[in-house]
Amino acid sequence: MTNIGPNIRYANMSHWKSIPYKQIDNFREFYYEDKTNTAYYSDWDNILKYQSALGFDGIEIAPWDMADILPLFGSPENFTAFAKERGVEVIGMFHGAHASHAADHFDEAVRSGREAVDTIVRFGGTYMNTCPTQNYYGTGPLSREEVQQCAKVMNEIGRYATDHGVKIGLHNEFFCAINLPNHRELIESTDPRFVHYCIDTAQISIMGEDLLKFYDDYHERISTFHLKDTASSNQPDSVRYAQDPEITDDGTRWFWEPGQGNLDLKGLYRLLKQHEFKGWMSIEYDGSPDLLASMAMTRYYLDNELRPIYD
Amino acid sequence: MKTEAISISLDLINRHYQEPNRNRYESKYFWEELYTLIAASGFSGIEIPYEPVWQFGGRSGVPMNRYCVNTKYESAAKYRAVLQASGIERVTGITFDPNLFMRNDNLGFFFGATGHFAGEALAHAADMGADYFAISPSPYYGRILQYHPDLEAQKQDFTQRTIELLNGLAAKAADLGVTLVLRHEYWSLFGGERILPLLDALPDTVKLDLDTANLFVAGISAADFLATHIGRIGCVHLTDTDFVDTGDVWKTPNPEFPSHRATQVFRDPGCGSVDLVGIAALLDRLKYQGPITCSARQTRDPFRALLRSRALLNQFQK
Repeated sequence: MTNIGPNIRYANMSHWKSIPYKQIDNFREFYYEDKTNTAYYSDWDNILKYQSALGFDGIEIAPWDMADILPLFGSPENFTAFAKERGVEVIGMFHGAHASHAADHFDEAVRSGREAVDTIVRFGGTYMNTCPTQNYYGTGPLSREEVQQCAKVMNEIGRYATDHGVKIGLHNEFFCAINLPNHRELIESTDPRFVHYCIDTAQISIMGEDLLKFYDDYHERISTFHLKDTASSNQPDSVRYAQDPEITDDGTRWFWEPGQGNLDLKGLYRLLKQHEFKGWMSIEYDGSPDLLASMAMTRYYLDNELRPIYD
Repeated sequence: MKTEAISISLDLINRHYQEPNRNRYESKYFWEELYTLIAASGFSGIEIPYEPVWQFGGRSGVPMNRYCVNTKYESAAKYRAVLQASGIERVTGITFDPNLFMRNDNLGFFFGATGHFAGEALAHAADMGADYFAISPSPYYGRILQYHPDLEAQKQDFTQRTIELLNGLAAKAADLGVTLVLRHEYWSLFGGERILPLLDALPDTVKLDLDTANLFVAGISAADFLATHIGRIGCVHLTDTDFVDTGDVWKTPNPEFPSHRATQVFRDPGCGSVDLVGIAALLDRLKYQGPITCSARQTRDPFRALLRSRALLNQFQK
């Protein structure tokens, strides 16, 4: 039984592709049909148990999961109850604020953000980690006015979220139209009462922010983290502004399990201790070929390297 | 039967469901090696499932739509040249299903999005030089029911709107020189023999796609269906299964994954209960000359499925 520290609780950012079954009661029979390990990755019952067993007692879901989860469970509340029975709670959901920089898209961006907040409330979550707008390619560079427009949308969604007990956290990808030249400008243009920040440790490092300095500068704004490692910090414009750079043509991975890249995560934990961070932290494994192995690898690293620094 | 003309569908790659090492399927390198392996297993033709989803979210490494092909290869012609260099001489068909667009209670959205992307997929089929464009005329019955609980009351209207959409596609297909074929998946509003009235309402240029496993699941003899409708068959899918739907699984929201008892509905060709050797012999006797495609949908191991498919075809009478 893993002891969960009093300051940080750990969640898994769900990167499972479609999980086709809620629960498999005929597990042995299903396994014997083709004698592969497919059966082990086919139902939420086992996926949630894997998480629980490895001490990730929160799950952050994604909007693209909805099309599968809702038919399987019937409602967000049913999924939440099912997860809770297995020791896992839904902490929130990712959201992409498409075209929030475009003045003529204001109403739609706000409507979509509010709907996402409503969905999170139904799941019992309290975090909405929000990509501020779409990819740089085909959109950037953004004008000052467009950045301000983006901030206006974030404030509006943030106000609604706060009223409903949800914290929105800006979440920047390395390939987003909000990028190194205007990353901090956006944060500083938003209202700290309503808009927080979710540090995706690898994404902002690839984008060119210094992870420790960024956290130190903005620690009061930080609602949560997507914790992952990278060995690809400070990528040039030609990479960050390219078309569809997230999935590489040759299989090169941007993201690694904590400890498998070269970010100073121990330094980050010393700062977490200094600033007394409290809350949920999602571990993210996008790009991993084996999400279960990544979870186990991460649990070992957390327990043996990071939690001794700050728990 | 001349098995060298039989294609394999790229649906043997599990793009949507979790499995170990699934993420490699999103990178270009995976597919470019796959083409050579498909050729090495004796197939020189492929079928491509057209999936708009890959253009949302920057996953253009999956070569399943026009956006992805243009992003990675600039044009359909250059993509086809890559296929040729890998030993894939032709794309024989493109398939399309509208499940992605059944996500809310707005039928206007469903028919609008389906019409738009089906039109794009059909044009892509022409760009690829495909013989056929095989469309699933409805999403999962159970998925429609989830958002439209009054589906049975609305069935006539839904059918009429489907006919209008398909009529538009039929005219476009005729202009492009591609054969429009209708699929009859067991889970469809128009599954099994329910496809026939829909076909009757469309021009004669529109044909049937005979899918052996989908008929088996619905409890229909593929051999009888083939013999009865041979004049209207525009495409044959050699698919296999052990599953017969006796519990109305076809009406559930996720019908290819029976919720009450997990099972792999579609088995690798030659590994299930469908008499595919017999079907091949019957196709010969009926002098069927149209496209034939092997599909190892839901396979647990695409590379074993390729060779299993080849092992099956090797059993066909030459």
